[in-house]
Amino acid sequence: MNDDVLTKLAESLHPLEKKVLVQFSDQDKLTEDAILERDASLQASQLSMALGWLLTKEIVKVVEEKVEALVSLTPTGAAYAKEKIPLLRMVEEIKSKGQVPIRELQKRTDMEPEEKSSAIGALKACGAVVIVSGGQLELTDRSKLSEFESLQRVIEQLSKMEDAVPLATLPPEDQAAIEAHHRKRGKAKGIFRVDERAHRTYAPTDDFGPIYQKMMAVGSVEEIGGLTPEMLKEGNWREKQFRKYNIQLLPPRITGGRKHPYKRFLDQVKSKFVSMGFSEMRGPLVESEFWDMDALYMPQFHPAREIHDVYFVKGDLQDQTISKETIDRVAATHQNGGKSGSRGWRYPFDVERTRRLILRSQGTSVSARTLGEGANIPGKYFSIARCFRYDQVDATHAPDFFQVEGIVLGPEIHFRTLLGLLTLFAKEVARAEEIKFLPAYFPFTEPSVEMHVRHPKLGWMELGGAGLFRPEVTEPLGVNVPVIAWGLGLDRMAMVALEISDIRDLFSSDLGLIREKQTVLEKRGEAINADD
Amino acid sequence: MPTIEVTISDFESLLEEKIDQDRLELLLEQVKGEVKEFLPAQDIAKVELNDTNRPDLWSPEGIARQIRLKKSKAGTPYPFFDPKNKSDREVIVSKEVAKVRPYLAACIARGMVITEPILEQLIQVQEKLADSFGRKRKTVSIGLYRLQKISFPVRYDLVDPETTRFVPLGFNESMSLKEIIARHPKGMAHADTLFGATQYPILIDAKEEILSFPPIINSREVGEVKVGDTELFVEVTGTDMRMVMLALNIFACNLADRGAAIEPVSIRYSNLTDYGKDIRMPYDFSSSIDLNLDAFEKVLGEAVKMEEAVAELSAYGYTVQTKGKSLKVTAPPYRDDTMHPIDVIEDFAICRGYGSFKPEMPSTFTVGALSRVESLSDFLRDAMVGFGFQEIVSNILGSRQDFIENMKLTALDKTRPEAKIVEIGNPMNERFSLLRSSLLPSLLRVEGASSKAFYPHRVFEVGEIARLTSPGPGKRKAEEATTTSIHLAALIAHPNATFSELHAVLEALFLSFSGRCRLESIIHPSFIQGRSGNIFSEKEEVGLIGELDPEVLTRWQIGMPCVSFEIEIEKL
Repeated sequence: MNDDVLTKLAESLHPLEKKVLVQFSDQDKLTEDAILERDASLQASQLSMALGWLLTKEIVKVVEEKVEALVSLTPTGAAYAKEKIPLLRMVEEIKSKGQVPIRELQKRTDMEPEEKSSAIGALKACGAVVIVSGGQLELTDRSKLSEFESLQRVIEQLSKMEDAVPLATLPPEDQAAIEAHHRKRGKAKGIFRVDERAHRTYAPTDDFGPIYQKMMAVGSVEEIGGLTPEMLKEGNWREKQFRKYNIQLLPPRITGGRKHPYKRFLDQVKSKFVSMGFSEMRGPLVESEFWDMDALYMPQFHPAREIHDVYFVKGDLQDQTISKETIDRVAATHQNGGKSGSRGWRYPFDVERTRRLILRSQGTSVSARTLGEGANIPGKYFSIARCFRYDQVDATHAPDFFQVEGIVLGPEIHFRTLLGLLTLFAKEVARAEEIKFLPAYFPFTEPSVEMHVRHPKLGWMELGGAGLFRPEVTEPLGVNVPVIAWGLGLDRMAMVALEISDIRDLFSSDLGLIREKQTVLEKRGEAINADD
Repeated sequence: MPTIEVTISDFESLLEEKIDQDRLELLLEQVKGEVKEFLPAQDIAKVELNDTNRPDLWSPEGIARQIRLKKSKAGTPYPFFDPKNKSDREVIVSKEVAKVRPYLAACIARGMVITEPILEQLIQVQEKLADSFGRKRKTVSIGLYRLQKISFPVRYDLVDPETTRFVPLGFNESMSLKEIIARHPKGMAHADTLFGATQYPILIDAKEEILSFPPIINSREVGEVKVGDTELFVEVTGTDMRMVMLALNIFACNLADRGAAIEPVSIRYSNLTDYGKDIRMPYDFSSSIDLNLDAFEKVLGEAVKMEEAVAELSAYGYTVQTKGKSLKVTAPPYRDDTMHPIDVIEDFAICRGYGSFKPEMPSTFTVGALSRVESLSDFLRDAMVGFGFQEIVSNILGSRQDFIENMKLTALDKTRPEAKIVEIGNPMNERFSLLRSSLLPSLLRVEGASSKAFYPHRVFEVGEIARLTSPGPGKRKAEEATTTSIHLAALIAHPNATFSELHAVLEALFLSFSGRCRLESIIHPSFIQGRSGNIFSEKEEVGLIGELDPEVLTRWQIGMPCVSFEIEIEKL
């Protein structure tokens, strides 16, 4: 390296770098901890920053690196420390009852379905239980459980530690247990978390000597670190020299404020509907059976209304805001058609049950409310409503999700304008030119239609369902013009736009993932809705 | 929605044509069906039927019947519905049985040889009708028997479950009805169909031979239909007379479509029913619907000619009489789903094909708009992004651990709004058993899962929350029991995160819409005492701000200081 370059390098040294370099003037190697001990004014983060710069400038080098694995509990692990691993909880149940059928174990609500099935699988595989008549499990050989009991012991031991524990300090059998159960990359579940920490030893390079000398020499001239308002006012910056920066160094990482990608997708849907002349309507998350189903002419004996299909609110809560007259009209319609011209469902309508509170199961309830509260005629309405379904949560089912639904009402509404409206949706929302209408069934519409479109990226897909509200829906709510009810399934389009395959990722808690998702889209310069 | 499995070759003979997947998809439009799987190599197709009101379509016979109708433009005659056919066979329904399972319908089928595939189909129809239409046998169930083993008249009666015994299907030993409920797999699975009765229903013949214990299990002797049988006794029992008769009508038509001759059975009730006391079954209970051509035009948006209406409706199975512009239509006896003239009009449209209607753009002008709260939300979201915050979207359901324990809400004054949490009475999973009463847990969940993302973290969410309006369970007049509202919450996490850093954001946020806010100290278990407050706009409390209590952070497994605020948007 020639003298000129050395001088430039020496001049560009940051005060923190100088502090570190001084430490090497009488040592041929130092660990980070040793440097921090020698200069108490340095903070660990400052040191690692300075060392990083010095490494890129090749004034110091790494001569030794030790990687230490540190083990700690994941949130799942911490929970297991308190309530034991699922398998042992099941063993306790079997022990206390003598025999337990597998389906009983599968009914436990304190663990996830995957936890249950893997625990039952492991339980059978290890040979600690036998299956006796009627699918009952019975405990035979407790000694076969030792593997799981020692796993539990390791978990409990770690839960008592405040910091992560170096893996190497644990006995080999514990290490093996941790190895088998630690969280793999990309997997959500796992009991242990293993992080690696590197310990490095640094030494000066050949350039160190000459640069150090230059640095000491430069140090005698007064350098300006930063320009201040006082200097500008007094003009004394003129006598001084500015310390030179190495502008090639990477700056610290920052992140900007952004909207969530899924919300941006929904924002585009929202503005699309407003631009087509639709008004937004809203409804509550906790809904009465009346607005969620009865007003939509779903009979109270409908299979989708059973205990395993709808979430009920605890505590026998009732909605007292619905007028008796409205309920009576709907009840009559269910029982004998009322004034709707229908023969009705012909069953005794339960007027107590109709006030019962549930979690909104379908966005159509918002439409029913809008009609009941007096909609504009002619009118167009849409809502993006959070709904709840009684489903196991998995890659295609989120615990709660958005439904895009709405109504169009007016004297000119009929089956052909319904098809016209859907054609417009296909073009505007899915950018699809080809469209197919198929007969469909919904309890509250007749005629009912399912719309399939050829999406530019996804090919043929079902975009939504629609129909004309049955007179049994509109008449009791006092609406005397035809009403189109429509709903669109946009989650698949959203998932493709956001490049995710698991619906739960739409609601991800991982900030890293959320930030990254955006960069991917931004980089490609693509609008989320393929709507440019 | 039921999904059925059909044998393609069998289905082809019922359809009277060869099919491939495309052809099948097209044909199924007539019955609101979808092809789920088409496996010609295995001779199997799976079809989903979407119309939950058309149980007659949940079998290959029923689907083929509807499709054949359209091709032949006329209905299959089912002469056995003719009330002139008399029956010399009788089932006597006792008065007592009304307490448990009041209704029964029955018929006889002869002259069709039961083969392996036919037996499979019969069992499939029997199960679909009992499971989906009959609500797991509660309202309707079907039994099939070997006719030659039965001596008429048969009685349908209630008996003592301890002393009545017979050998049920699947067992070799005689069991009492009580033992069947306790030990037989079908008994254990369907005990709820007896609704806790103390006496159980049975079918028993003139020689005191027990046919079955409906809707649980048949006798092994009389009630096991085998390949090679040619004569069947079919019965349907249940709690809804119309549904019971409809299920029998469907089953009888299916058997007739396979070449069986259906012979009626006389059902003698002890009390008068809606359809008489002595009813010859299968019984055609269909009634007519009146409508006129104007109704077609009003619904469909185009004029329909009388000939066309008659042709399409006949080709969909209706019997049609006309007078001027009026029609009197009657659905076939295997259907009971036409409640309103609109149902008839839909069938017309389906039969003609949805593709034959020209879409027309609605031309009425309307002005679109977002709701006030949504517009305000969007404004605030823009402002938060401007302050450098990342937006989050979270699920609304969570666990007691998330919403109560981790937030230390058990120590919170129960009158505070965020303490009034809506709980699910029938959760499927404890992890999703409560609705969030504030957004803060959602943001802490993100923070707890994001220690690897580089700091500082500045996140916000605008979303819905729900709260009970009255303290705890109870009914109040003319008042919502719960409220849903939209909140905005923001959180900052980094090694030096402090109250003042976020307070500055809050101030700037209010200034962005020319609002004013002031704070009042509060003691709240989720926050550090002396570093938290209520946010007031003008006079009303609109939210909370504070540095998160270290115990709360620890419970969320967060290793960074956090400060947050949350405000209710509609109150701004």
